[in-house]
Amino acid sequence: MSFVSFSFFLKRISKNKFEIILILPLALFVFGFTIGPIIQAIMMSFEGIFGGNFPTLASYSYIVHHHYFKAALFNTIFITGVGLSLELIFGMILALILSEKFFGRGIFRAVMLLPLGIPTIVSASNMAFIFSTQGFLNELLYRIGLIEVPIDWRVGTIKPLMTIVVADMWKVTPLVMLILLAGLESIDKQLYEAAKVDGAGRWHRFRHITLPLLKPYITMALVIRGIDAFRIFELPLVMAGRHVPVMSSYAYFEYVERNNPYTSAAGATILLIMIIIAISVYLKAVGTEEVTR
Amino acid sequence: MKKYKIFLTLLVIFFGILMISPVYFMVKISISQPQDIFTQHPTFLIHNTTAKWWRWIFSTKEVWAPFIKSLEVATLTALFSLAIAVPGSYAISRLPLKVRYPLVLGLFFTRMFPEVGIALPISVNFIKWGLLDSVLGLVIAHMIRILPLVTWILVGTFETVPKVLEEASSIDGCSRLGTLRRIVIPLAAPGIAVGTIFAWLGSWEEFTYAVYLTLAKRTLPLQVFYYINRGNWFLTATYATLTAIPVIIITYAMQKYLRAGYMAGAVKG
Repeated sequence: MSFVSFSFFLKRISKNKFEIILILPLALFVFGFTIGPIIQAIMMSFEGIFGGNFPTLASYSYIVHHHYFKAALFNTIFITGVGLSLELIFGMILALILSEKFFGRGIFRAVMLLPLGIPTIVSASNMAFIFSTQGFLNELLYRIGLIEVPIDWRVGTIKPLMTIVVADMWKVTPLVMLILLAGLESIDKQLYEAAKVDGAGRWHRFRHITLPLLKPYITMALVIRGIDAFRIFELPLVMAGRHVPVMSSYAYFEYVERNNPYTSAAGATILLIMIIIAISVYLKAVGTEEVTR
Repeated sequence: MKKYKIFLTLLVIFFGILMISPVYFMVKISISQPQDIFTQHPTFLIHNTTAKWWRWIFSTKEVWAPFIKSLEVATLTALFSLAIAVPGSYAISRLPLKVRYPLVLGLFFTRMFPEVGIALPISVNFIKWGLLDSVLGLVIAHMIRILPLVTWILVGTFETVPKVLEEASSIDGCSRLGTLRRIVIPLAAPGIAVGTIFAWLGSWEEFTYAVYLTLAKRTLPLQVFYYINRGNWFLTATYATLTAIPVIIITYAMQKYLRAGYMAGAVKG
């Protein structure tokens, strides 16, 4: 920095002294307790599995050969992919229902928002009641006559994953619905009228007016939800525990149960990279203007 | 057209039942006798009710320690977040757009970092600093996720306070701090209230940092986790209901402030 620009810099500081003092506690907190720990976790991930030897890839090579980690990676991607698609479909159906006028619409909207008022750990325990072998889902299937013997939802690969997907859907579909509803409300009603006059049916109006105009909202819902789905933690932890590890619960088990902060840090760093990729995709797709609205 | 109406009504009823049932079963279990739940064929309706689970958690006084800890942590988190976020977000809102924008965006993205990645070094450090299991430690940890949210809400609020009013006040001889206190903060009060309530709520229902930073002194969400791991459905359901009640009430009271963006990174699995 040349002398001229440095003195300019100083002048700016003294001119904005008041602002800087106001912002300082916030900046210190974010650097001390968010950016700092993230960097610390990344540094820890480059230590050996028993600490020391910085920098080394020992912790990474340990976890990528750990079958448990491979399961966690697969499960996270499965839950994200399947969950996201289903949440988008159901969120769209719900948003379309709510954009109609019908008797009891206000109550229906209130009911749909109920999951937003339920802490995730609570919804996890509720889903555990439903998907238990003696749970309510098995009883329902039995009464309808679909099954004779109760299904054990915890065995197999896909079954426990699907229970987690359903649990996640229950909790977050209302959020997707809210985003898409905001999009539907932004569409000019005259477009539909015009299409109707031209003889377009319900499906054609949806396919050629609603869907294209909703695209930015769909992208926003997909990426915001995608990042959250990568970080899924409480639901798999409570509903399946060690049987179905995901990235977050893998990092948790490595630290809390196996007492190994370094492999846990490596797992968390890989998760961080996945999220950074998702954020970049988001910024590219939506553009920075949309984010803070 | 009529067929369509019937189809719509059926869909509404179907989704309504789907959304309510998990919450209904939770409340039902918390007031049911064991014979209605632990059988081959649990009942859907409420038959043999009992208040014994609720009475048990209150009569053994077991509920009070976690309840008070959750209350303390949530209240302190809201207050401390406010103390840091009000001045910070006011200053950010008065910065030129070119600087303000990346700052707000950066804060927004810190909410998307993996919490297990932040909680790990925090936990390692807190062991050294003796902050494990303490109220202060958990308050600091909760502020990691809540401070950016509150700042974000408040920057939006302060942006709506016209700069002209501040200039008028300074011409009338008010200092900048005085202007902030007498003009800006009163005008931003509704937004500050919304931010405070969201901060309180976010801390009350928080689980991840709590589970990393707690050994023995559990909060209410950890109490739910503790009992589900022990296989006690009745106490799980009772604690779960207790934890959810304030969240449900506040969520409905604050319904019109629930924007998708506020919830981004707040609702996760």
